[in-house]
This record gives sequence, structure tokens and C-alpha cells, in this order.
Amino acid sequence: MTSHPGDLLTAALAREIAESGISVYAVTSPASAAAALAARELGASELAIATGFTSLDAEPVPNVTLGEAGLFTTGAVLVDDPFDTFSLLARGRVGVAVAPAQLDAAGRTNLSGAGPPGRPKVALPGARGLPDNNASPSRVWYVLPAHSPRQLVERVDVVCGAVPPAGAIRRLLTPAGCFELGPEGWRALWLTPDGAELVAAAPGIGISVTSTQPVVTEPDTDALAALRRVDPYDVRLIEFSAGADAAARFQEAAAREGVSPRA
Amino acid sequence: MGLGGAGLQRKPMAAARALVAAGRKDLTLVSFLGSLDVELLLAAGAVKTLHSAGVALDGAGLAPRYRAGRQDQTFEFVEWSEGTLLCALQATARGVPSLPTWTGLDSDLPALNPNVREAADPFTAERVTQVRALALDVAILHVPAIDARGNVYVEGDFGMDGALARAAGRVYVCHEQTVSEEPRRAVLSRIWIDGTASTPGGAWPTGCHPHYGADLTAVSRWAAEGATAGVELLTETVR
Repeated sequence: MTSHPGDLLTAALAREIAESGISVYAVTSPASAAAALAARELGASELAIATGFTSLDAEPVPNVTLGEAGLFTTGAVLVDDPFDTFSLLARGRVGVAVAPAQLDAAGRTNLSGAGPPGRPKVALPGARGLPDNNASPSRVWYVLPAHSPRQLVERVDVVCGAVPPAGAIRRLLTPAGCFELGPEGWRALWLTPDGAELVAAAPGIGISVTSTQPVVTEPDTDALAALRRVDPYDVRLIEFSAGADAAARFQEAAAREGVSPRA
Repeated sequence: MGLGGAGLQRKPMAAARALVAAGRKDLTLVSFLGSLDVELLLAAGAVKTLHSAGVALDGAGLAPRYRAGRQDQTFEFVEWSEGTLLCALQATARGVPSLPTWTGLDSDLPALNPNVREAADPFTAERVTQVRALALDVAILHVPAIDARGNVYVEGDFGMDGALARAAGRVYVCHEQTVSEEPRRAVLSRIWIDGTASTPGGAWPTGCHPHYGADLTAVSRWAAEGATAGVELLTETVR
């Protein structure tokens, strides 16, 4: 694979959103904003993009200084009541991509901490919307920048998001491929060239792999072209980078966007 | 006390700095999605209890004081989900002791938060999550603009600020500028507001769109050094 892994995953998410039939997509990160904007170019032209809790039909800009998801978007915004976000979730009409710190074999999620509930050895941000998303019949994608046995576990330490309701579609995108949760657990829909090896190295989550899964080597061409149009500065790749590369991309974006009242 | 904004946007930092300067202690703080507001008040030793659905510094990483404080149990943390916290604020706004919701069932939230319980719906016996009302003495918001009568204008997301305002006994609004009156565009009516303060740049280092974005140089420095930094760095970074 010659392209950045983040491009493969973001392009896959854009295609997933476009073909999901959802009417509203809730942005949670710069990459998810880029994927939603690209999905509009891939056939979901009427997709509403929700940024935050009251801007349910907005034009986000993939960025880092306007909040985690362009929550305070620079584009057009139709403002609604914050309760609408949860009504859409309850009615199964929204899609959202999240990045839990842990995801387990039954689809439970954790962003609270490592260790017993209430007594974290390592405290993480907090439950955020995971209990709300996972309990809903709406579409949820788990998008993780690494296929790590530390994140993909047999059972999460703290249950933020409970086992999803029967019939709810839950898919996982990692550098190993795309996976779907069903009654028998997780199964591979497609793999990357390194996918089988990565899956084997993270056995806790119990992903089922057969010899018949397609192998995807490069990002969807049309999706990648759309992503590059809506996110010309590659802000989406920050969350799929690590270490010095991630820091450099983050600072570059911050410098390009930033206007401080103290400057 | 509820502080408005979400993540690195529209945090009432000028008000938080004033609280620190006034030496306030033992606060019960509600920050829907916290960041440097929580960090500042934790670093000053002003927080006894924190209610939140999450605290982080977005792309700059984890919030060091919050993280250490939870691990060392130096403050009481009451963990909510976004949906259950909204439900708790709405219960207060509607004048009822609790409200049911569908979110959070079978999660560990009830173990982490005494205000969240599984219950049976009285009509169908269906399992629901019952959420106790959360009432605030005061809410402080930071917004881009108000008009001369005090109506609030925000471009983009208003987050949970409207819910905070309706659950608070008193509401104070810090603002960047005063604009001409256009009440049909207002996101919060003056009828909810008890006082306003002109604080240009008062959300810094968090952002206040469209006036300025988050100052990620300052935020990144805090992410890197905030866990061990003394008051000097705090006052230098979070002025």
C-alpha cells in the first residue's frame, strides 16, 4: 500500500456514509467531517451534516482550531434544539463515527479509563456520547488509527457504550480492514494486505476471518479524489498519524488556521 | 456552577480566571465537555466536584490536571454521557425531579453517577434510564455577541449552553462584542440572562468563532507542561 493509511480509512468511511442511506451524519473529528463532505460527492448529495449539538445541517470545514470537528463551522448552519441530536439517534436516522479507547468482542466501548470503573489507573476523557451512540439503532462506525490488541479487547474495562441493540449496524475500520458486528461477533468484510496478520495479533476482540474476504490495497479512487477536494490541506490525516509526524501536521494546521486575540 | 462552551470553543476563561483571582474554593463545577476551563480551576484547587461527559484538549491531547486528579482521586468526578447530562439539565428546566431516557442502559454509568439509575417505565414496564434533575446556582457563558438588550448571538453550534442557562438560577454572559438587535437570529433570549460582561478575547486560549480560533500553541504547551507546572506557567499560559 503506497497511500497514507488514513486516506484508505477515510475514503472507506466516505463510501460507507454515501451508501448507508442515513439522512444525517454527525461529525466528530476533522477526518469524519472530510468523509461526510466527500460522501455528498459520492451520491449522498442531500446528506445533512451535523456539527455539534445544535447545528444539524451545516457546512463544516476540516480544521483543528474550530474545535474537534469544525463544531463551530464557518459554513451555512441551520440551528436546532440540542435534544434533536438525541431524537435523531433514537429514531435511527443518524450516522456517527467514533474512536473509543477500547472496543470489545460484543461491541461495548470505553473512553472513561483503564482500570476498574471509578478508580482509573489511566484516566481518559470520559464517556462522552458513547453510551448514547451505542444504545441507539442508528449507524455507528468505529474508526481506529491502529489495529491494536490494547484497544481491541475481549471486554472493555469500563462499559461506556453497552452492547448495541439487535439489528443495529456497527462497523469497525482499522488499518487491518473493515469489520461488521453480528450475532456471532465480529467478521471481516474486507482486509488490507496486512489485515490477516494484524487481526491475528489482536485476538481478544475475536474477529472472524476466512480466506474469501477481498483484499483492498489502495483507497477508493473516487472517494480519495473527493476527499482531496474537500480537505486540500490533508487535515484528516492528523488523527491517523503518530509521534513527530502527528505533531508536525497538527502544528502546521494550527499555524495556517490560527488567529489569536493575543497575537 | 455551570461553565458553557464545549471542548476548545467558547470557554468562559476570563470568568474562570476571575474565580481563581477571587480565591473561590470547593466549587461544584458542571462542564459539559470541558477543557482549559476545568484545567485552570483544578490547577487552582478550586474544584471539589466535577460533573462532565468528558474533559480533553481535542487534538492537543489529554487534559493533564483532570487526568491526574481522577487517577489520584483529588476531586469527586461525576461522569455523565452527553445524552444523560442533557436530560438532567432538561429535568431542572421542566421543573421535574427526574426524566427517563433511552441512553445508557447496561452501561457502567449508574456505577459512576448516583444521578443515573435503571428504572421501569410506569406504563409499559420497559427498562429506561432515569436521570435525576441537575440544578445549577449559576451558569456562565462566553459568546461572540449580544445586542443592547442582552439577546445572545452565536454563529455555529450553541452546544449545551441553552440547556445550562435554563437549568441555572442565574445566568451571566461574557461577550466579544455588541451588535445591532436582530432577535429572530438570537439563540438565547435576554429573558434567561441576569447579567452581561464585555470580555473581548475572554475565551482565550480557547476559540470564539468567528473572532478567533483556539490558540493551539498555548493549548499544546499546557498539554505538555500542565501536569507539573506551577502557578507561574499557569498564569503565563492561561492569562
